[in-house]
Amino acid sequence: MATSEIEPESSGTLVMSRATESDNHFANLRSVRWRVNLGVLPSSASSVDELRRATADSRRRYALLRRRLLMDPHLLKDDRDSLNLFIDNPLSQNPDSAWGQFFRNAELEKTVDQDLSRLYPEHWCYFQAPGCQGMLRRILLLWCLKHPEYGYGQGMHELLAPLLYVLHVDIMRLSQVRKDYDDYFTDMFDSLSFKERDISYTFDFNKFIDSMDDDELSSQGYSKKIKSLDELDPEVQSIVMLSDSYGAEGELGSVLSEKFMEHDAYCMFDALMSGTNGCVSMASFFGYSPAKGSHTRLSPVLGACSAFYRLLAVVDASLYSHLVELGVEPQYFGLRWLRVLFGREFLLQDLLLLWDEIFLADNSARTFTDDDEDSRNHMFSVFDCPRGTLISGMAVSMILYLRSSLLSTENATCCLQRLLNFPEDIDLNKIICKAKWLQALVLSSNGVFEQRSSVPKSVPSNSSLIVTPDCYWEKKWRLLQKSEEEEEKQMSPPTQKKKKWLKVTNLFRAVTDLSRYKTRSVLESLSQKLSSNPEGEANGCPVTVSMENSPTQETEEGSMDFHTADEDSITSDEESSSFYSDPTSLVRDSNYPENDSNSSTVLTLCPDENSNSIDDLLSAEDSSVSSEPTSPASRDCSTSSDSVSEEKCTGQQTCVDSPLPISPHSRNDYPETQCNEDDSTDKSVSIITKEHKLVTGIVQWFLKCKRNFSGEETSKRNATESHPQALSSHKTGDLDSNLMKTRKTLGQSMLEHIQVIELIFQQEPGLVQGGLIKNIAKTELIEKGQDTATTALRELRKISNLLSGM
Amino acid sequence: MVLVLALGDLHVPHRAADLPPKFKSMLVPGKIQHIICTGNLCIKEIHDYLKTICPDLHIVRGEFDDDARYPENKILTIGQFKLGLCHGHQVIPWGDLDSLAMLQRQLDVDILVTGHTHQFTAYKHEGGVVINPGSATGAYSSINQDVNPSFVLMDIDGLRVVVYVYELVDGEVKVDKIDFKKISTSNSAP
Repeated sequence: MATSEIEPESSGTLVMSRATESDNHFANLRSVRWRVNLGVLPSSASSVDELRRATADSRRRYALLRRRLLMDPHLLKDDRDSLNLFIDNPLSQNPDSAWGQFFRNAELEKTVDQDLSRLYPEHWCYFQAPGCQGMLRRILLLWCLKHPEYGYGQGMHELLAPLLYVLHVDIMRLSQVRKDYDDYFTDMFDSLSFKERDISYTFDFNKFIDSMDDDELSSQGYSKKIKSLDELDPEVQSIVMLSDSYGAEGELGSVLSEKFMEHDAYCMFDALMSGTNGCVSMASFFGYSPAKGSHTRLSPVLGACSAFYRLLAVVDASLYSHLVELGVEPQYFGLRWLRVLFGREFLLQDLLLLWDEIFLADNSARTFTDDDEDSRNHMFSVFDCPRGTLISGMAVSMILYLRSSLLSTENATCCLQRLLNFPEDIDLNKIICKAKWLQALVLSSNGVFEQRSSVPKSVPSNSSLIVTPDCYWEKKWRLLQKSEEEEEKQMSPPTQKKKKWLKVTNLFRAVTDLSRYKTRSVLESLSQKLSSNPEGEANGCPVTVSMENSPTQETEEGSMDFHTADEDSITSDEESSSFYSDPTSLVRDSNYPENDSNSSTVLTLCPDENSNSIDDLLSAEDSSVSSEPTSPASRDCSTSSDSVSEEKCTGQQTCVDSPLPISPHSRNDYPETQCNEDDSTDKSVSIITKEHKLVTGIVQWFLKCKRNFSGEETSKRNATESHPQALSSHKTGDLDSNLMKTRKTLGQSMLEHIQVIELIFQQEPGLVQGGLIKNIAKTELIEKGQDTATTALRELRKISNLLSGM
Repeated sequence: MVLVLALGDLHVPHRAADLPPKFKSMLVPGKIQHIICTGNLCIKEIHDYLKTICPDLHIVRGEFDDDARYPENKILTIGQFKLGLCHGHQVIPWGDLDSLAMLQRQLDVDILVTGHTHQFTAYKHEGGVVINPGSATGAYSSINQDVNPSFVLMDIDGLRVVVYVYELVDGEVKVDKIDFKKISTSNSAP
């Protein structure tokens, strides 16, 4: 096998965050790690001997299989005396004949060869070498013969090739170690190490005499050679122990062995395909019949495709609806992605990193607690295990990576072209992190991803995309409520405020993560502000976030950077993970027109530590915020979290909010007036469809926050009055956990708020604008603001209709 | 693992209509790599039919063949074996082993395949094999009225050839086999 282009394993692996102790031993031995993860070797091996024994057993099984299945009709003839020639002649049509089997094997081999000849042409030195091809062919043939129900499917060779490759890399590493640490590999026979390999028969007198001369040197060298393995670093030590010829099971048990590469590759391939009694078995992805016990009538791969499409719908409804509109079914690209585990999308080295992560994920089906038994995921069996969810998460993360280019396509062909030609220069770490985030999302949701049956039929069809997530968000909200209430009881008000603030920021952070369009300046300013003002400050930490709705929709690194920046500055509280899912629920405005662009909003929100009202916070001075409490617009945001705190702090409304002053560096203005509806949190509607929607939602949300804590202007007292009622009813609704009722109340409150805003707009347009937008030219603002506001209001009306209709 | 089908003396349409259906059902395309035919097909249609079973068809001229372009003798090399092909009406006395051995030495082949007698025979002779596949249709010959349809399939594998004989006896296909191992000659290419 050509070794010229095979580099030894570089240690630049990525997120090995969940490496267990055993993994650490084999950090650089990918094949051993994978064998442990796939189940070929025991994961809880207490000693090297156990590993060796398991290796030997698996190899024996393969050898037996090979002897049995790879038959040669000639050999058969010799063995058997009484041969029924009528059956066993070459032209026999009898299906039992040995020749018939031979011809079938030949057919299979032809199909396999077709695929193998096209395997990894970019690494043809290794993969197209005859030895390697022969091994691959044999392994595939034997597997297919052993599993006639699956046969050979195109793509199986792509799953097998990297497995063989990692074995080869490890063998290279072993030979490297052997060279470097030759001393340690001397066969310790009778615990004596022999300087000369051949001791007795080829005793060379001359050499002996020479060595006598360099007696001192030789004795030193001799003593040097008797070293103990403990001197080596653990990795090399493990390599030596694993490949020692005299260890347990001898050569058959030597875990890294060139002689048994085929055996090991077969075992890994078999484990991967069968899934070792887990949920995700790659072989099922090649089958066409529906899986037993699945509630859908789809084959497993189609089920998995629809699962990750569903996940996409949940996290990014706009992209999902765009793809659905174009008619891009998930299986067009998903089939290739899933069947070869993204082997065709990434370069080999990247793929190895990705498979590290996938194999690390546990493949055993999750056990559900009794409470959640009813919410068990019946629709998507692929979500039943961490590995399956990670794979789906990876698929969604890849789609999201191409988000901007996909959204700009006009037809399905373009779309598919982009999906099937994944770019090469990518930051795989990011994609994998995102995938893990999605995985956590799904796993923490306890499988509330489907249950279409519980969706009320009265919901109009155009909102079908948004209806089903309700169930999920509903449940999330309820869980959140419970946890919050518990928390509230335990904490004192100031800390509650702090918690609220943390939640707010975390939510915000997560939302912006999803929105993916933060600019550098924003990030910097935000992190700056956050770090400069620890949560405990009274006039504290304004959170400045500027959101751009740029039609170009460049995918910035923003979201991830923002994420990380925040993590440094904000301590995540225990609910932060749940909040990752929450923000999407909070930010609503599904029907918002998508044409609003080139507008940006800067929200500032200052946390309040001491006072009970956020209006103080909002009115607090800030460098970029105008704290003039003249904003007329009623910004009503209600959030689940805040509704609880409302109880505690209603009635403290004094000052007017300066709701959303816009910072000087915002380019276009987008008066926040347009939001103002209580986006009925998780109960209600759908998910962000576009950036604006996100913006409006966030704006709404913050307004609500502010609203809850502070109050309103005198001109909006009516709204205020209605608001607490709505909120209280909202609250009661929540407490009753009566879905419909709360929805109705929310809708009503939304309507009220809308009315208020309209009123205000009609009455005091100038004042509103002027009050709102402090540091910016008013002229351009006013015009644009009004347009946007009115459109927003229209949309809000629609939403409220929806909600009240439910 | 090269499968070579040897047959001949079909005499279609003059003396027989077609191959027996049981034979036809066995001869499916895709399994056989070469066909060597001893001659006397006689018409083009049978030639085409044989071509569908295997595209590599070698045929020599029998005295009743329509196509005059077939050669009298043919020599092929398949694997490690040299095969000689001749109809056999040229060799007198018909079917005599010594005469055929003379032809074999003349052609310098390991395996000589001839026909014309409509009788299956297979001799191991002087380090070589002389095979007569008989008549695949069971057509009568000038010396024999009662002919059983038969043909031969050779499985050439390295230095070893296994000869399977298929004969239709009383409506049933009977199979027999003969092993033959060639003594490896130092036949290095110059």
